[in-house]
Amino acid sequence: MFRTLFLTVLVLVIAIGGGAGSVWLALNASEGIGAVAIGGWTAYPDVGTRNADTYSKARFAREGGLALGRAEGIAFAAQRDSGGAALRRECTYTIEGALPSARFWTIYAADEQRIVLPPPTRRVPALHSLEMLRTVDGAIKITISSHPAPGNWLGVTGKGPMQLVLTLYDTPSATAARVLEIELPQVLRTGCDE
Amino acid sequence: MNRLVYALLVGLVGAGIVHISVLFLLPHFTERDAWSQLSQVSDFYTPTSITGTTATTPLIRSVDPLFSAVACRFDLDDGVVHVQAPGRVPFWSMSVYDRNGQNIFSFNDRTSADGKVNFVVLTPAQTIEVRKQLPEEFINSVFVESDIDQGIVVVRAFVPDRTWRTAIDDFLSGVSCALR
Repeated sequence: MFRTLFLTVLVLVIAIGGGAGSVWLALNASEGIGAVAIGGWTAYPDVGTRNADTYSKARFAREGGLALGRAEGIAFAAQRDSGGAALRRECTYTIEGALPSARFWTIYAADEQRIVLPPPTRRVPALHSLEMLRTVDGAIKITISSHPAPGNWLGVTGKGPMQLVLTLYDTPSATAARVLEIELPQVLRTGCDE
Repeated sequence: MNRLVYALLVGLVGAGIVHISVLFLLPHFTERDAWSQLSQVSDFYTPTSITGTTATTPLIRSVDPLFSAVACRFDLDDGVVHVQAPGRVPFWSMSVYDRNGQNIFSFNDRTSADGKVNFVVLTPAQTIEVRKQLPEEFINSVFVESDIDQGIVVVRAFVPDRTWRTAIDDFLSGVSCALR
């Protein structure tokens, strides 16, 4: 009698605990599923659509976001610089290179949960392509730093890890098939505060 | 001993079943998704700002800081939804999401007929009904046919700089999300 009870409880504990626990682990570990990586930037063209896989759908439902549609745009996030080190708010970075064709794009710094970082006093938290200062050949160079910088300066404040989010709006590259064809600028680290 | 091994095996098979059921049921029962958060602050057919001002945190995460957006919930079982907004802005886009926040359909100001926000969300069956006798107010509308009943419409507008803020806020507060 006692043995039967023990075995029943054991079965239930393994089934419910193991089942729920494995879902929890899988949702926290499935960050990279469905990702498209281009030179340090990653995008999730299918997350938030019906084409997403089951794990992405479940994770997305828990996060409570509303993803941009194909006709709206696509967001890329960079967590690491071109040397492979994690991006930090106390460091200075420059972004250089060509950007794919889009009507316009925006760039902002965010924390790990993709919440926009507070900008320095009287600055806006994001830059966009229509206000960029360009070199004579049309290329762009953006400085991301907590210290003021000449040219295109994206100010950040605080300490700790950050990510950069580059969103292209009204672009032909928003579909999963076309997204691999594009090139994105490099994030170079130029220095860090002690 | 045999019974213990048997119990472990049954437990593992059960864990697999629980894993799969939790995974598939999670999107339907979560209280953290966009629909649940919207339903806490506004009723059906009520356009609500999801970006918030600089002082308040946005209702929906991961919205571009250079954008303002309004969302409204609808239920196609009640009838078709007509979304309109007067005025022009540098860039606007819209998306239709289903009950689980999955993007069903989207377009922007260049894909609409005259650059104005004017579209109707309806089911295939309602399309047939509406096409029989096209109402006057739908003549310039874009028809968004979707096989969903409940859903969310989001209109986003680009705010290039602070001087545009008032104009964009006026534009978005003019968004109407009406049941016809």
